[in-house]
Parts: sequence; C-alpha cells; structure tokens
Amino acid sequence: MAQFALPPNSRVKKGKTYEAPADAKNVRRFEIYRYDPDSGENPRMDKYDIDLADCGPMILDAMIKIKSEIDPTLTFRRSCREGICGSCAMSIDGTNTLACTLAIEDVKGDVSIYPLPHMSVVKDLVPDMTHFYAQYASIKPWLQTRTPAPPDSERLQSKEEQELINTPSACILCACCSTSCPSYWWNSDRFLGASALLAVYRWLVDSRDDATGDRLDELDDPFRLYRCHTIMNCTYACPKDLNPAKAIAEIKKMLVERRL
Amino acid sequence: MANSDRPLSPHLLAYRWGSSMRMSLIHRMSGVILSFGTVALVGWLVSIIAGHDTYSVVNYLFGSAFGLFALFGWTFCFFYHLCNGIRHMGWDVGKGFGKQRAYQNGMLGLIIAIILTGGLWVFVLVG
Repeated sequence: MAQFALPPNSRVKKGKTYEAPADAKNVRRFEIYRYDPDSGENPRMDKYDIDLADCGPMILDAMIKIKSEIDPTLTFRRSCREGICGSCAMSIDGTNTLACTLAIEDVKGDVSIYPLPHMSVVKDLVPDMTHFYAQYASIKPWLQTRTPAPPDSERLQSKEEQELINTPSACILCACCSTSCPSYWWNSDRFLGASALLAVYRWLVDSRDDATGDRLDELDDPFRLYRCHTIMNCTYACPKDLNPAKAIAEIKKMLVERRL
Repeated sequence: MANSDRPLSPHLLAYRWGSSMRMSLIHRMSGVILSFGTVALVGWLVSIIAGHDTYSVVNYLFGSAFGLFALFGWTFCFFYHLCNGIRHMGWDVGKGFGKQRAYQNGMLGLIIAIILTGGLWVFVLVG
C-alpha cells in the first residue's frame, strides 16, 4: 500500500548555511539534502551560497566546488561528467536528471538537490541501487538464442532491424526514469519500473533474440508490467531523451497481439 | 526498496508536478468520484420504485444547491474521464507519446471536457 508520508527517521530538518565570500559577484543558493549515517540524526537541508563567477557552468561543477572548497563531507557519485556513465543521477529542481548535463543557468532561483526519490539513502546524495540493479538482472539483459549461428558469419541484422534497437540501447541505467514514477514509488517491490522495462523492450525487438515468448511470459503479470499507468514522468525525466513510456506501451501491445 | 535503518529519500512532495502527472492524478480521482456518482444514480432510480414520497425527497436533494454542485462535479468528472480515456486508448495503440504531443493532447482533452460540461449545463439550466 502506498505510504505518502515519509517515515519519522526520514523527515528532513533544517541544516546549516554556508555563506558566500564577501566579494562574491553572482551568488546562487544551493539547497542540498544531507544525511550522515554515523550521526544517527535525521536528514537535513544544508544551504550553500556559491559565487557563479568563480564556478563551472554545470550543477556538477558547483557540487565539486562545494566539496573541494567549502564542505569536504558532501557525498555524491560522479564519474564521466559528460552524461554517459549515469552516476550523478539525482533530483535537481524537482526533476530527476544528471547533475553533469544540467546547466546552472537553466534552473531558476535556488537550486534544490535531493537524492533520487523514494530510495533508501546510504549517505547524502547516494541512494542504495541494489534493488534497481537486481530488477535489471531479472529481465535477463543478454542475447538468448535457440537456433545455431550461421556457420560462416555472425548473426547479421538488416539496417532496419538495427534501428529498432538503437534508441533503447542508448539507456545508461541512471535510474532517473524508474525513480520518477509514482507507481514505482508505491510498488517498486513488484513493479519492474521504466528502466528495466525499456531494457527488456530492447531485447524483445532484437531480431536475433529467440526468447521473445519467454520474456513476454515473464512480463504478463499485474505488477511487473501493468503497474505502468502512463503517468509519463519517466519520459519527461530521461536525460538521454529516450521514451520508456512508449516502449512499455509497445510491450503491452505485443502481449495483446500475441493473443490474437 | 525501503531499508528501515536508512532514511527514505523525499518523493511526492519534493517532485515537480508536471502536466502529465497532474492529468494522471485527475483521471484517477475523477474515476473514484464517478463511482460514487453511479451509486447516487442507482439510488435515484431505486427511489422511483420505492414510491412517490421517497422519490420526491431524493429529487429534492438532487435539486438542492449541494445536489446541483455534486451533479456538476460528476458531469465534469464524466467528461474528463471520457476525454482522457480516449487519450489512454491512443496510448494503448502506441500513439501520442512525444513530450510535446502528450502535453498537447492532455490539454486538448481538458479543454474539451470543460466545453462539454459547460454546454451540458447551459442546456440543462437554459434549454
């Protein structure tokens, strides 16, 4: 059953304020979710006033500036800083996205930063992704074949067949889509979520894969697939501009067409 | 998945409610309200069988300010649920999933629902 309120240990308290240096020219306030597992205290929102004249253009630049110059305890995941690793996925200005590809100037007013929504928080902006990855593994994201490969060549695809999997293959597993979804918030124990469903769609439309029937059998379940109610938060959140909502609709169509 | 030792990150109240999320919530709420409306409609029909006295009481209730307000709400819910339901049918055949397109067809459904509700009530009260 859906739990709309946060449990007592998760309610967010007021935190500290770190003011900008006196000679700062262009100050922006960053409100960042903080949780220290060693203190035993509730999460809090710390405020950091940053001089944008002395800071890189992206949200991630500001966060790295905070970590290296103001508060080294601020904890977050990041790696590639160019939107391909998916590590710095978080909820910025009310929408899940990557901190490295969102420009500070594209956010109006104070910048609020939370971890991905409705996740178990390990520390600060680092959520526990174990369950998310387990869901990805559960859809068997690899090529399954029954037929032998051609003796003298690889399993080739036509250009059109390749194009079917091009877009869904661009998913970087950042979890922005799944964790933007209210259905996933209330039912993540049984609903696979947008990311895993987009991943299984990629294999369902792969002309070389022979396990289409088995994959559809696994999905034909009131929760795993059909908890998607086309709220479409996933599509609006995706930092790679993919369309998980449409992929899920295509899977639903495949299940209907199979019965005809 | 919740781990009770660790805090749960903020969700509903920390997320920006976009158009599609609001539309989805209104669709579900209008469905729930319509199910109450159906019970009221059945009650009105049953009161006809129960006889003249019961029927006149029920009819009076429906004609009161609160009754008219409820009927107005139910008709809007009916038209909204109908229009957004057609949008859902489009999605079920795989159409209307673009970010712009989903916003536009949502707004279109809402506007048509408002026009139909207004038109019906003008017809009821004036016509």
